[in-house]
Amino acid sequence: MSESGRAWVYGDGINTDLLAPAAYLKGSMEELAAHCLQDLDPDFARSVKEGDVFVAGDNLGIGSSREQAPQALQMLGIRTVLAKSFGRIFYRNALNLGMPALVCADTDRIRSGDRLRVDATAGVVENLTSGETLACESLPPHLVEMVADGGLIPHLKKKLAGGR
Amino acid sequence: MAGKTLYDKLWDAHEVRRNDDGTSILYIDRHLLHEVTSAQAFEGLELAERKPWRIDANLAVSDHNVPTTDRRGGIRDPISRLQVDTLDANCDKHHIVQFKMNDRRQGIVHVIGPEQGATLPGMTVVCGDSHTSTHGAFACLAHGIGTSEVEHVLATQCLLQKKSKNMRIVVNGRLGKGVSPKDLILGIIGRIGTAGGTGYAIEYAGDAITALSMEGRMTVCNMSVEAGARAGIIAVDDKTIDYVKGRPFAPTGEMWDRAVAAWRGLVSDADAVFDHEVVFDAESIVPHVTWGTSPEMVIGVDARIPDPREEEDPFRREGMERALAYMGLEAGTPMSDVKVDKIFIGSCTNGRLEDLRAAADIVRGRRIADNIKLAMVVPGSGVVKQQAEEEGIHEAFIEAGFEWREPGCSMCLGMNDDRLEPGERCASTSNRNFEGRQGHLSRTHLVGPAMAAACAVAGHFVDVREW
Repeated sequence: MSESGRAWVYGDGINTDLLAPAAYLKGSMEELAAHCLQDLDPDFARSVKEGDVFVAGDNLGIGSSREQAPQALQMLGIRTVLAKSFGRIFYRNALNLGMPALVCADTDRIRSGDRLRVDATAGVVENLTSGETLACESLPPHLVEMVADGGLIPHLKKKLAGGR
Repeated sequence: MAGKTLYDKLWDAHEVRRNDDGTSILYIDRHLLHEVTSAQAFEGLELAERKPWRIDANLAVSDHNVPTTDRRGGIRDPISRLQVDTLDANCDKHHIVQFKMNDRRQGIVHVIGPEQGATLPGMTVVCGDSHTSTHGAFACLAHGIGTSEVEHVLATQCLLQKKSKNMRIVVNGRLGKGVSPKDLILGIIGRIGTAGGTGYAIEYAGDAITALSMEGRMTVCNMSVEAGARAGIIAVDDKTIDYVKGRPFAPTGEMWDRAVAAWRGLVSDADAVFDHEVVFDAESIVPHVTWGTSPEMVIGVDARIPDPREEEDPFRREGMERALAYMGLEAGTPMSDVKVDKIFIGSCTNGRLEDLRAAADIVRGRRIADNIKLAMVVPGSGVVKQQAEEEGIHEAFIEAGFEWREPGCSMCLGMNDDRLEPGERCASTSNRNFEGRQGHLSRTHLVGPAMAAACAVAGHFVDVREW
């Protein structure tokens, strides 16, 4: 995880309906992703790049169980989500999709546009723009393994193939 | 050693194995499926050349995409139709019991589970839908899961879980006249906040909870997820058992007697210890209305819209300002001065018979106000609709100017054609008032069914206790 990405910083309570608007839940993932956060920041879906980092305050992903919420972020290129706290199902869904979701108490110290390098295993966020290093809660080993395998289903397949 | 909480008991009864890393494999008794979160899961199963592990643990229904207007011509929107057809095909292929769109038993997944007795006390219940917490009213350990986990449950009948902490919310006393279970749960969320239940399974207890009907208990448990909790649960009592008895999927004969004997134990032990406890006085709960874009942004209908300048925390202040701007509201305005455009009565929170009765009692013999562009009632299931029609409830609504629709999720989230236009304001008995929830730039105010009905007649929010 040595690549750096641009930070997209939002506030508290970024919910699943903002990330994956219901009207687009029935179409393709591409179309849904194009409308990700449209009611909050229409520029986000147009401008986000591969490897960028999504940063929020408390309760990121509160609301629906729709896995399409983290999936839309992932499809747009987001590779890591950082927040002070997460909605439980969103947190689980992100990890199940193989996308690290990390609890970081200091997301206020990150500005939109900062370059971040995140080490999910060590629980370290390097802000290359400000020069600061922020601590985040590291993922426990079993989740690191699952994320490295690409998520819950690939992980399960690997385990089943290994006869465990 | 301290006794066990109800949550501990449910957990222990379903724990297949505890892993060294602190997670557990939990057995799932009931898996509910709907069309929005299951297609990819079935596809994954197919790609892996697997079949569902236990067919009869599953029950499926289409609810999010179905039209609530005349269904004889099928679903017009081709994308909605495809999603519904895909669930039909997956269920047919795997012989999963499903109530199709024109089946009388079709309805919102969280309404039909209990209604059919498919939700039984003591079960673990999961569904690719966050409002699965509803089923906790039956002393079930019930929570929403994502599509990867839907596939996992289909394939293995198990889930990998980490145990939550125990919270108890005790509501003492009695709810006042005109104060509904919806007002109670909105009041609770207003106090503990949308992160108040994070990391917990909440057990609701106390006189006011015991006094609730099963339908009222479902309303309370339904919105536990809005408080951030993994699950909301309520202990078994006579009401639970009376409700379940005789329902199509419920056990009969000797099995019934054995089941009841087991279910009676689904209560927290007297000496159980909770990690956190919050106590409410039911008499302090008033009819509530949300004013912002999160369920915790809620006030009594007799209050004024709060002023962000009085909020000390800068992040909360900014959130309040953003919410007021989105909602098109000014701080200090009495809630009862706020006019609405549309009324939605329905959803897995408030689409059951008692909800419709409470609303009908308000509108009977009255007319909706001139400024109301649309007032609609969407029963939670075909069975609810039929029962309501047998009681003549539909006539009270229709005569007042409401539209009486077919069952489904409808305008709670607007995946079918039932949506607000940008800027429209709705008094809604649903569960989320997020930005864009009921349509792009929609403005949602969460209320109980009687308040929604009174709002339709008055054209603005009113204190339903005075009606």
